[in-house]
Amino acid sequence: GRLLVVPMDGSHWFTMQMIVEKLSHRGHEVVVVIPEVSWHMGKSLNFTVKLLLVLNTLEDLNYHFKFFAHNQWKTQEVGMFSLLKHSGKGFFELLFSHCRSLFKDKKLVEYLKQSSFDAVFLDPFDVCGLILAKYFSLPSVVFSGGIFCHYLDEGAQCPSPPSYVPRILSKFTDTMTFKERVWNHLSYMKERAFCPYFFKTAVEIASEVLQTPVTMRDLFSPVSIWMFRTDFVLEFPRPMMPNMVYIGGINCHQGKPLSKEFEAYVNASGEHGIVVFSLGSMVSEIPEKKAMEIAEALGRIPQTLLWRYTGTRPSNLAKNTILVKWLPQNDLLGHPKARAFITHSGSHGIYEGICNGVPMVMMPLFGDQMDNAKRMETRGAGVTLNVLEMTADDLENALKTVINNKSYKENIMRLSSLHKDRPIEPLDLAVFWVEYVMRHKGAPHLRPAAHDLTWYQYHSLDVIGFLLAIVLTVVFIVYKSCAYGCRKCFGGKGRVKKSHKSKTH
Amino acid sequence: DKLLVVPQDGSHWLSMKEIVEHLSERGHDIVVLVPEVNLLLGESKYYRRKSFPVPYNLEELRTRYRSFGNNHFAASSPLMAPLREYRNNMIVIDMCFFSCQSLLKDSATLSFLRENQFDALFTDPAMPCGVILAEYLKLPSIYLFRGFPCSLEHIGQSPSPVSYVPRFYTKFSDHMTFPQRLANFIANILENYLYHCLYSKYEILASDLLKRDVSLPALHQNSLWLLRYDFVFEYPRPVMPNMIFIGGTNCKKKGNLSQEFEAYVNASGEHGIVVFSLGSMVSEIPEKKAMEIAEALGRIPQTLLWRYTGTRPSNLAKNTILVKWLPQNDLLGHPKARAFITHSGSHGIYEGICNGVPMVMMPLFGDQMDNAKRMETRGAGVTLNVLEMTADDLENALKTVINNKSYKENIMRLSSLHKDRPIEPLDLAVFWVEYVMRHKGAPHLRPAAHDLTWYQYHSLDVIGFLLAIVLTVVFIVYKSCAYGCRKCFGGKGRVKKSHKSKTH
Repeated sequence: GRLLVVPMDGSHWFTMQMIVEKLSHRGHEVVVVIPEVSWHMGKSLNFTVKLLLVLNTLEDLNYHFKFFAHNQWKTQEVGMFSLLKHSGKGFFELLFSHCRSLFKDKKLVEYLKQSSFDAVFLDPFDVCGLILAKYFSLPSVVFSGGIFCHYLDEGAQCPSPPSYVPRILSKFTDTMTFKERVWNHLSYMKERAFCPYFFKTAVEIASEVLQTPVTMRDLFSPVSIWMFRTDFVLEFPRPMMPNMVYIGGINCHQGKPLSKEFEAYVNASGEHGIVVFSLGSMVSEIPEKKAMEIAEALGRIPQTLLWRYTGTRPSNLAKNTILVKWLPQNDLLGHPKARAFITHSGSHGIYEGICNGVPMVMMPLFGDQMDNAKRMETRGAGVTLNVLEMTADDLENALKTVINNKSYKENIMRLSSLHKDRPIEPLDLAVFWVEYVMRHKGAPHLRPAAHDLTWYQYHSLDVIGFLLAIVLTVVFIVYKSCAYGCRKCFGGKGRVKKSHKSKTH
Repeated sequence: DKLLVVPQDGSHWLSMKEIVEHLSERGHDIVVLVPEVNLLLGESKYYRRKSFPVPYNLEELRTRYRSFGNNHFAASSPLMAPLREYRNNMIVIDMCFFSCQSLLKDSATLSFLRENQFDALFTDPAMPCGVILAEYLKLPSIYLFRGFPCSLEHIGQSPSPVSYVPRFYTKFSDHMTFPQRLANFIANILENYLYHCLYSKYEILASDLLKRDVSLPALHQNSLWLLRYDFVFEYPRPVMPNMIFIGGTNCKKKGNLSQEFEAYVNASGEHGIVVFSLGSMVSEIPEKKAMEIAEALGRIPQTLLWRYTGTRPSNLAKNTILVKWLPQNDLLGHPKARAFITHSGSHGIYEGICNGVPMVMMPLFGDQMDNAKRMETRGAGVTLNVLEMTADDLENALKTVINNKSYKENIMRLSSLHKDRPIEPLDLAVFWVEYVMRHKGAPHLRPAAHDLTWYQYHSLDVIGFLLAIVLTVVFIVYKSCAYGCRKCFGGKGRVKKSHKSKTH
């Protein structure tokens, strides 16, 4: 078949790339639309790539992301609203502008139209994929870590009771106190109120392109299959819909043998073993003061530290700490000498930690990372630190705790065994469902009828109103006829009383 | 590993048996707990049976099943139909309760079960004896369930909006008109009542055994549900991570036809065959009805294979062959199968979907009416009312599904969707049973919703609290405005007042 792929840049692309490559190996014609300017996309791809001319440069992209990322070291933004509103705004606007240039590129649009694809495989972080799917009326498979705002509730008609389903970016667990439930509810209401405003630009572009006013719900509701990069070892159990597929841990695979360089480091670590430290592919620099504090803490533990860091070398770096520009994270974590993993708790890193059973010290920075860290913490498989407030002592204690307290290792090993015990490999599952949508031109039999109801019909408010009206009418009639009956029966007395009254007046 | 199986007698056992046999082939040690008097729970090389005494004999059992089967053909007014259905089901359901009661009071069996260290318990929760036993023996459990009755799997955990999730017995689809949604709303309330009627006695039984107050949904919450659903057939609705969908486990297994049936099929010529079975539970039909059916069957050119153990209708045509038993799935899988006359029990429906054979449905009891409705809305079959239908109706229905291409096309589309799945449902079922044995349950799939009260679940306390705050703020603002106004326009106000008092 023919598949159109509209990915999202950055770390999102890593797992999507695995699926796309496998699909390409299986003989599908894959066309990926990516902007000319990108971080990770477009490198050594063995499928057709359509480059999208965009106005901005790599500097612009880096500038916006750095502005966003650096902000995280100053003030951490909690909650959806502040993230979308403040430092993230410039980045998202840039993203939306790509979409505008895509549809202005008539040649590209014509090419895509001529290609007559069977389906679109897209990352909804960039709304453009959804617009493309609607524009070409193609069935779509979305691939995501989690859907922003209330668009999962609306777009998939998937109920998320705020009483035990924590909102995204809320840092709550599935067991909330009354106060937390109030905040959870409020953030749900805030999403409903402010998200349409935030996605205004995207919706405007969509309306322009489709030449009819649309809402985010209209863009999300035709989605055939929702694919999530998570599973219920990490995620809390929650209602889902039959067209949702969970493929967390797609990147969990047998570690390859280490290169000589890393093998040497690991062997030299002795009985204490190693600790792997990486803040992910997107963040490589840390403010100097913070870096020195971290370096100090690392020097206080007996393990050998492998730190992926491209910033300037902290002056107080201890002997046990080795700075590297890049490290084979999964292979190192898979080594029996790995004792702990210091991570920004992005979903890829978290799953590599779970997969290899290495307890974690987590320094969440942005996006879903706080939520991921909270989930691992409640399962007793890691310790979370606040990067803004933590001192060298905090980091030292956290590391010693996860390494020396047996329960962390036991918990992560239990999670690991649950995670790896599955009837089918997540990569195969992902490939299956993309092909399924291509084969059957969507999955209309998995579309809930709820999409065809208004909100008051969905909640049966009209039915309840109608029943209430009947009950009230009956009560009213009964009351009136009783009153009438009473007047008839005791009519005399009543009148007597009345006349009494009028007399006394 | 050691697995304890607490099955439900009757047709429910057919799909459970398949999974149990598969598990046994994979080397698990399986003990099936059976009432000493039973219908289908026979000896097998795949498992050991442990029987327990029951307060009825085989004759009573057979009488009850026979009258249960026959009663479906007794005419009754539409208003009385639900009551009749209920009473009729109770003929069998009561007996299950007696059997459960006697099991839970049989100390010899209970101590046998306690002494044998089982790893898990596999049961059918429609009759919750196994559910109670799992709690008593403190064993992790797996349920095999069709979703009927009462949608037990959703109680207390998954949202089931009455606006688009039709309740059983309503025969509605997922697209309902306003009056239908109204009826569905009421059916939902009645379903709670039905739940009470069916299960409150079991709760008392469980409370006696466990020596504490027991509610059944609380016992369900740690279990994994293997559901005989497939969304090719079921309407999409919210589900939970502890539900595994294994609809169509019997699809793959295909044997060769025996010589007898091979001969029938080959003799059918270009017109092919029609398979007719009302399921394992119903084999007799009142004579008048049987004659009407026989007449209709005689009017079509196909060869009819009718599983029927009652007396031979006198007007049976030449093209109709009565058999005591037939290899249903194998016959439906034969390319010459043109149509399937079924009572639309879930097993039969899935065999029809699997093999892509359009259906004429004569639903009799339980979920069968709703099953028939689902196939009808998908254009893959025609439903008949078994009480009211005439020979003409049946003839027309058969000719429609056989000659109107759209029925064949629709069922073939459903069939291709149904069979296109990442893993065979039987393998999936086996995987999850073993998973529960390996990990001693699956507590990480248990939703936190179980720890909430109903008003917490619906956030009524939160909404109340927020409303209270809003109202307080509004009240304070209003009061202070009023106070401010009085201050500002105080003079005027008092003047007016004094005016008033003067006029008085």
